[in-house]
Amino acid sequence: MKTFMSIIKFDYLQRTRSYSFLITLCISLAVAYTFVPEPNSSYSTIRISDYVGYYNAAWFGYVTAIMTSVFLSLVGFYLVNSGIKTDQVTKIGQITSATPASNFKYLFSKVFSNFLVLSTIVFIVFVMSILLFFLYNDGFPFELSQFIIPYVLIPIPAMFFIAVLAVVCEVLFKKYSVIQNISFFFLFSAMVFSTSPTENQFVLDPFGTKIVIHQMEESVKDILQVDEQTSLSIGYVLGNVEKPKKFEFNGMSFPISFLLSRIAWMLLSTILIIVISPFFHRFNTKDRLKIIGTTPKLFHKREVKEIVLSNLHKSEIDYGIFSLVKTELVLLFRKGKRWLWIINLIGMVLLAIIPIEIAYPLILPVLWFLQVHRLSEISSKEIYHNVHYFAFSSHKPLGRLLTSQLIAGITMILFLASPLLIRSIILKDFSSVGFIIMGSAFIVLLASALGILTKGKKLFEILFFIITYANINKIPLADYFGGLAHSSDYIVSLIIGTIALGIIGFLTRRYQLRK
Amino acid sequence: MTLEIQNISKKYNRNKYGLKDFSITIEKGILGLLGPNGAGKSTLLKMIATVSKPTKGVIILNKNNIVKDANYMRKQLGFLPQDFGVYPNLNAFEFLEYIAAMKGIGGSNLKSKIEQLLDGLNLLDAARKPIGSYSGGMKQRVGIAQALLNDPKIVIFDEPTVGLDPEERVRFRNLISDLAQDCIVILSSHIVSDIDTIADQVAVMKNGSLLSYGNQEKLIKHVDQKVFSIIINKEQLGGFKNNQIVVSTSRKEGMLDVRYISETPVEHSIPQQANLEDAYLFLTKRN
Repeated sequence: MKTFMSIIKFDYLQRTRSYSFLITLCISLAVAYTFVPEPNSSYSTIRISDYVGYYNAAWFGYVTAIMTSVFLSLVGFYLVNSGIKTDQVTKIGQITSATPASNFKYLFSKVFSNFLVLSTIVFIVFVMSILLFFLYNDGFPFELSQFIIPYVLIPIPAMFFIAVLAVVCEVLFKKYSVIQNISFFFLFSAMVFSTSPTENQFVLDPFGTKIVIHQMEESVKDILQVDEQTSLSIGYVLGNVEKPKKFEFNGMSFPISFLLSRIAWMLLSTILIIVISPFFHRFNTKDRLKIIGTTPKLFHKREVKEIVLSNLHKSEIDYGIFSLVKTELVLLFRKGKRWLWIINLIGMVLLAIIPIEIAYPLILPVLWFLQVHRLSEISSKEIYHNVHYFAFSSHKPLGRLLTSQLIAGITMILFLASPLLIRSIILKDFSSVGFIIMGSAFIVLLASALGILTKGKKLFEILFFIITYANINKIPLADYFGGLAHSSDYIVSLIIGTIALGIIGFLTRRYQLRK
Repeated sequence: MTLEIQNISKKYNRNKYGLKDFSITIEKGILGLLGPNGAGKSTLLKMIATVSKPTKGVIILNKNNIVKDANYMRKQLGFLPQDFGVYPNLNAFEFLEYIAAMKGIGGSNLKSKIEQLLDGLNLLDAARKPIGSYSGGMKQRVGIAQALLNDPKIVIFDEPTVGLDPEERVRFRNLISDLAQDCIVILSSHIVSDIDTIADQVAVMKNGSLLSYGNQEKLIKHVDQKVFSIIINKEQLGGFKNNQIVVSTSRKEGMLDVRYISETPVEHSIPQQANLEDAYLFLTKRN
């Protein structure tokens, strides 16, 4: 038990002491601030028909708990789904695998560590929700239980489920991070959009949010005196010009079946870890393949040669960046397993053949999102692969190397979009062509800037996932590639934003090089 | 060709220095940097390689301040860091082409030059295989090859023999001697035997400061007539170590033959010929 606690403790400390975790906490705080809109704001987060609750303690507690459960389940997976991989990269895993710790013990410690990381964010949001209550207080009394009960019952078990899911995906899909991303994307969408019309089915909701929303809908139906379905919106709905009407929500008493289901989700998750434990690779991965088996002659050479400096060809100066761009492209294309390019090719075929109204706003962002593992390390791979001593002591690393990385990234993204670009050119839809090019520059510059800023890839991965999720839900604010109609102001803002990202990335890298 | 390092310091926080008021002038030939772990060797080498900047002081190469004009150094630098990585999906040939492009090297001869380097380092057979499948020693040889791509005039090797087998070490020493005919070669290690056979000059560092600098004879003078050996039993060793700088111990007929450094030898001690390792241990352990 002591070793188990030690693994959890040090793993947790290692993760939470990182710069990216600090940034994630700051973003979580900023997002939590928007969970309950300021009384005069023009957006809503949870709204049933034209109704929102009175700003009492229950509304703050339950709404922020629901939003935390959904939002953090969405991004939390990406935040914690590399715990085992990190151990592999840092070689800690090899040391751990040589200890008596069982697979289950190791995996379960990872689950707990994931859970602690996510719970830390939940706690921060919990504190923020109380602050928000006092900030927007309408004269209602403060009731701590209206905050504690929903947080304990809704996001905390959900976070445990996500912590388990992250470990399960890492064990089952090993190095295939792109499959992890896609699988979770679909699983999450299925879980969020599945309906639970009866009380019995609320127990099947891992996020634990639907029972509360159902209760809120029932309260509004009572006011409206109708039986039919009310229109419910969860998430950020912009442009609410009319002020919402208010209804009273005083929390709810959860049925015993729901309470048991929350415990059952956690127990079932634990059982899942027991089931997958035998499949864990225990860091016995193929770090060095083929070469020992296939080329023994390397180790038994008869003729041993030496470098004769005087015989070496003289080097010639060439400050062009073509070779750099070429190799950056090779690195991008070779990243990940080759067969995964089949998915990209299918996406490109879809872009070429299905109606442009679907291909442009839906297929293109998903196809680009599938490159998340390539883009996320576009300007941070030197550090990730420990090649930065070569890169940063090279000739003009800022102007040549960074530029090459950006050109290569944009080229790859545009290559993937090429069927759509060709169709748009044939249709003489040059605004779409311009928008797609702008979108490719935006997403590559975003990846580069965030990679340089954080020296890692997590933040971009999480953000790109949220943006793509918003793209699929056709939220205009997240449309960076012109899939929806926009005003000229929006286009100008996007251009300015793209330029700003380029400047931020450039200046930060320059600062890092000078330091 | 002269490399002048003038009063450089690297300050990490109010009380912590990686390097403090360090000055040295390096001429053509091989400079061996010796020092225990944490002495500041890598910090110094990173600053010379323009990867890191000093908090204070200047580094002058042929009258050019490379702290301000890093590209002047980079054009003629070959740098093998202590702990470097590779892109595992590239093969050795592609990786070297990539590094060459970063260094601003190209032209029609590049491919044949890479082949020559890989051949000379016995990597040609594996040159088309992903570097991710290479052993530690093979990766180290790729690192050596990249340092030589641009006909460097300043070559920095930080702990270069890590991962090389004894035969490769010998070949590497020959290569360094060859390089030193026209270049400044700076070689760091905490293993004295890596340095003593080839270095023209040796600098001993500790805690970010220069303890001593000069040719091997000059350094050895620090311990001239101070190295002795004595036969003691096992139980005496603990107490002996508390009072003397012990260089080595070896078993001899159930007793211990102890080589040590001292101003005032213990009774029955036998004087020994001093060497660079004695000088290094004396300089780094006396305080």
